[in-house]
Amino acid sequence: MPPVIDHETCTGCGICVEICSEDVFYGSQPGEIPTVTYPKECSHFSGCVSVCPVKAITLRIPLPMLLVYKPAADELQTPY
Amino acid sequence: MREAMTIQEEIIKTDVLCVGGGIAGLMAAIRAAELGARVVVAEKGNPLYSGCGRMGNDHFETWIPEVHGEDRDAWIDELLGTAKGEILISRDILRAQFSKAYEVVQLWDSYGIPMKYKGRWEFAGHTFPGRPFTHVKYEGRFQKKILVKQARNRGVEIHSRVMIFDLIHAGGAVIGAIGTNTREDKVYIFQAKAVLLGTGKCSRLYPSLTPGWMFNDPHGNVQSGDGRAMAFRAGAELQNLEMPQRHIGPKYFAKFGQATWVGVVRDWYGKPAGTFADKPDRKYGDMLCEVNKLAPEQYVRAGKGPLYMDCTGISEEDLRYMQHWFVHEGNSSLLDHMQDEGIDLRRHPIEFATYPLRGGGLISANEKAQTTIRGLYAAGDEAYGDISAAATFGYIGGENAAAYAAGTTEADIETRRSFIEEKKSMIDRLRGRSDGPDWEETQAALQQTMHDYAGHVRNESLLLQGWHHLRRIRDKAEATLLARNPHELGRCLEVLNLLDLADMTFVMALDRKETRGLHVRPDYPFTNPMLNQAHIISRRNEKPHLQWRPY
Repeated sequence: MPPVIDHETCTGCGICVEICSEDVFYGSQPGEIPTVTYPKECSHFSGCVSVCPVKAITLRIPLPMLLVYKPAADELQTPY
Repeated sequence: MREAMTIQEEIIKTDVLCVGGGIAGLMAAIRAAELGARVVVAEKGNPLYSGCGRMGNDHFETWIPEVHGEDRDAWIDELLGTAKGEILISRDILRAQFSKAYEVVQLWDSYGIPMKYKGRWEFAGHTFPGRPFTHVKYEGRFQKKILVKQARNRGVEIHSRVMIFDLIHAGGAVIGAIGTNTREDKVYIFQAKAVLLGTGKCSRLYPSLTPGWMFNDPHGNVQSGDGRAMAFRAGAELQNLEMPQRHIGPKYFAKFGQATWVGVVRDWYGKPAGTFADKPDRKYGDMLCEVNKLAPEQYVRAGKGPLYMDCTGISEEDLRYMQHWFVHEGNSSLLDHMQDEGIDLRRHPIEFATYPLRGGGLISANEKAQTTIRGLYAAGDEAYGDISAAATFGYIGGENAAAYAAGTTEADIETRRSFIEEKKSMIDRLRGRSDGPDWEETQAALQQTMHDYAGHVRNESLLLQGWHHLRRIRDKAEATLLARNPHELGRCLEVLNLLDLADMTFVMALDRKETRGLHVRPDYPFTNPMLNQAHIISRRNEKPHLQWRPY
């Protein structure tokens, strides 16, 4: 669940921990890779994604939040 | 259980305390500091990324003389006549907003928030084809960062992770506030000559778009009506809490910005649902989204759903234009998601949904952003929302709060020590329990009750039953709610505020004996023109007191 931190890239700078208003990273320790303690409280605004200086964060959009879109004409399938 | 009064305490003295570091709170802080006041902003998150404007905005409602002509009143009349629909506030407030909004637009531009596009005033969206434009397009992606910097430049002291949860008042005036740190067990007592509330909207009173998933709300999820609840407890008047709101937007990725979309609202077969657009038009979008936010739900119920925001047929240039403004509206996560999923707006219509009910109402504040209590101001979604109103009334409120503070003697917060200790004991109880419902469980019970008993249809017996049930939940929450850490303590305090607002919603819904907007009372099926007034609630002798007052 969002956000997902790439442990290889993350430098533990803590900017994401500092700015997240929902504080999904609550309890993270300075200098260490942040812990996503409260993933369900994420608002999916990508604040953390945008401030990360090394682009180590991506949002994984939870299944219930997937956009619903109409398939294009060439993608329409016949169910039966 | 831990002993009471063990929690650490810090006292901070200031002239003006801004509660909430959103657009309104920061603008109030900037203006009050500019006028020489000592100013503190307390924000439960971080003002760099808090509030509805956290990741940006792209529309600012304003009159601009070189675009609309010198006759401002004629533009305001046009706005009230068409674009606004039914408004539940005083027209004097709107006039005050638009007398100042253009000045604020120029100020923002001078701060470095680009209010012009390619060197000119750009207008698009939120307007009926052929009518005067109402919202200037602006590049607000970094507005919060810029406003925080402007506030700091003026000496404003900002406290992040401090959630104010009650006002301290004495002798009919507000003299401070009490807050808690959401990362450590620490209480802050603010002694302030004036307090401005700017805590935003009221999310989480009703279930979100996704059942069981509380945090899927376009308004942001941590705006829990804190200001409204604490203003009420301090004796201020609130109004129209029983008038719920619903918004419209992409399903199921709940995000704002219907006026940023360049498309036509169509059904599965490609037939437009409204009469305002028949092809994607970057200037106007499809005003159906504003005229009738219920359209997607109505289509589904009528067996004609779903409805889509259909951008197919858009030119490459207009697509880039729309994507540019999505970023400034704060919707970069939506763009990323579409890219990740292979969703191409040139080929794929996006389903739109009518979002669920949300709490309505506001803190009664006049055109000076003054509430009905001395020393207490309110601005932004708390009092009357949207970016333009938040910025303008924040600015106006900061000005008046600073003037009030300059003419007021400091009141000693220690005269209210017993109240402070009572609040600290409450926090100690929440933090000390090892067994009991947590905030999530309590909120699920609250949302279920609101949905079932103060939801889409209301009548006397349903409301009475719901109110009694809510009272049980509230009593149990007050007696047993637990917070495992300072973060959960903040969430618990939010839920307690929501419980107060839910209680008031039931009381006011019972008292509004008519059907109006989304307040549907089949036992009073008609709109009563005699009630074209503000419905006011305040606390007198520990009981709710209701009255009607002309706007």
